[in-house]
Amino acid sequence: MIQVENLRKEFKKAIKEPGIKGSVKSLFKPKTEIVTAVDDISFNVSKGEILGFIGPNGAGKSTVIKMLTGILTPTSGKCCINGKIPYENRKKYVKEIGVVFGQRTQLWWDLALRETYAVLKEIYEVPDKQYRERMEFLNEVLDLQSFITSPVRTLSLGQRMRADIAASMLHNPKVLFLDEPTIGLDVVVKDNIRKAIQKINAEEGTTVILTTHDLSDIELLCDRIVMIDKGNLVYDGQINNLKHKYGQMRELCFEMKNSDDLLSLDYKGHFTLDEDDLSIESDGVSATIRFNSDRASVQEVLKYTLAKIDVRDINVKDADIEEIIRRIYKEGV
Amino acid sequence: MRRALRLHRIFISQHMKRLMEYKLDFTMGALGLFISQVIQLLFLGIIFSQIPNLKGWSFNEILFIYGFSLIPKGIDHLLFDNLWMIGYQIVNKGEFDKYLTRPINSLFYVTVENFQVDAFGELIMGIVLVAYSVVQLLSHIVWYRIFVLLLIVPFAVLIFTSLKIITASIAFWTKQSGHVIHMVYMVNDFAKYPVTIYNNVVKVIITYILPFAFTAYYPAGYFLRGQDGLFSVVGTILISVTLFGISLFVWNKGVKSYESAGS
Repeated sequence: MIQVENLRKEFKKAIKEPGIKGSVKSLFKPKTEIVTAVDDISFNVSKGEILGFIGPNGAGKSTVIKMLTGILTPTSGKCCINGKIPYENRKKYVKEIGVVFGQRTQLWWDLALRETYAVLKEIYEVPDKQYRERMEFLNEVLDLQSFITSPVRTLSLGQRMRADIAASMLHNPKVLFLDEPTIGLDVVVKDNIRKAIQKINAEEGTTVILTTHDLSDIELLCDRIVMIDKGNLVYDGQINNLKHKYGQMRELCFEMKNSDDLLSLDYKGHFTLDEDDLSIESDGVSATIRFNSDRASVQEVLKYTLAKIDVRDINVKDADIEEIIRRIYKEGV
Repeated sequence: MRRALRLHRIFISQHMKRLMEYKLDFTMGALGLFISQVIQLLFLGIIFSQIPNLKGWSFNEILFIYGFSLIPKGIDHLLFDNLWMIGYQIVNKGEFDKYLTRPINSLFYVTVENFQVDAFGELIMGIVLVAYSVVQLLSHIVWYRIFVLLLIVPFAVLIFTSLKIITASIAFWTKQSGHVIHMVYMVNDFAKYPVTIYNNVVKVIITYILPFAFTAYYPAGYFLRGQDGLFSVVGTILISVTLFGISLFVWNKGVKSYESAGS
């Protein structure tokens, strides 16, 4: 469905020295540098898949999405979606995709919500009968009925997001790009949106590309993720593999009178751990020990620690996806 | 083409609904517009009553040129005003994304989105001035030239629009070009008066570089005096078509270079 090959995007960026003097100088002697926002990214998505597309802020996620949706032209490389090249045959191509930018609405701000749908119907040339059926389906999935006559500016963020997703689905697109569809929403609304995405995917076989910072979106919706950082692809694969690969590190957090005591314990010698298998941090009252659970079980580490030190409180942290990803963002793969 | 017209109608009706949504704002806007037009008309009357003729052009002829210049300008203002926003913010803030995710021509979508009702002020004033001066000059008018003049109007509009498209497109590279549009647009003020009153530099600029003279003086001169028929009529058509071609080229190049904004 989607093939991305060696996709690359460079931006020219003006370098300015600070202050008015710098601004004046750059007016007469502009200096530019080339910033590579996306650097040789390749991946494939098959039909009907929900792909989680993640990465820290500024990683180049939006740039990739904008190239895939035909907004930006890549500097080099290729992307091909449903047999079409977005930036070459834009008008034909965008008829087959739906796009939601969570940060920006595409609804007509001053008008009643249904007016937006009426205009989109014309833009996408949706026949009357199909339009009625779509509206019925979307209404059922996203529950639009209660606010469809209200002006868009009066909608709450949750309603607006539902309305935006409906707007992007009106013409029955084959691929749906959702850029942070749950940003700023409360738990209940998030849950509704996720269910809606799932339902749309299940009933219509729509391929979904989802970018988000909320990793529960990813865990609940996607089997596979593509992770990028600083414009490079750092992970492409099943979430379970990621857990398996990085999930063996466990974390124990102890609270005690003087947490530096923990530093004097010889975990390395006792459990024969390597440099990579162990790390200890201490801030005076609490200490965190991170270790490879293949080498030393949680139980053993606890037993060993409790025998030597008077501990006030213990906290065992599971290796959840969030923790794994936080580590990858911080340290790289 | 039929689809374009249909979409155009729909967008205009949406825009009207939007205006009606804020009734007080709309009423006050319309009232303000009316007052400002009346004041301008009075002001023009005062100025022109002091100038019986200008380099051989009579008061009524000057009035005609002035009035005629407002018509293409008004039509452009009415239909293609949103191009200003391209120069000022749409590109800069990354709002242009929206226009690219729809299966219609981006330039068409941008222009069709706004319907600048304010322009009716200019249009009405232009028509009133033209009608008034034609009545005064009745004995000099060669009637078939009216059809030629009407034929020229859309091309004259296209000159305005093309120059706006070109200058607005600059924003795709520089992120903002509102002031460039403004600067170029203001040159059209020269074209409201007979070109013969200016020195050669201004003449060359408004004839060959920013050809605003073809939106008013040349067609009007042809209509009033049969002056330089070929140059005025064919010239206007050629220049506007060429300029439009260039503007489409620049626009399309610009869209390819569009960089959006961070989100």
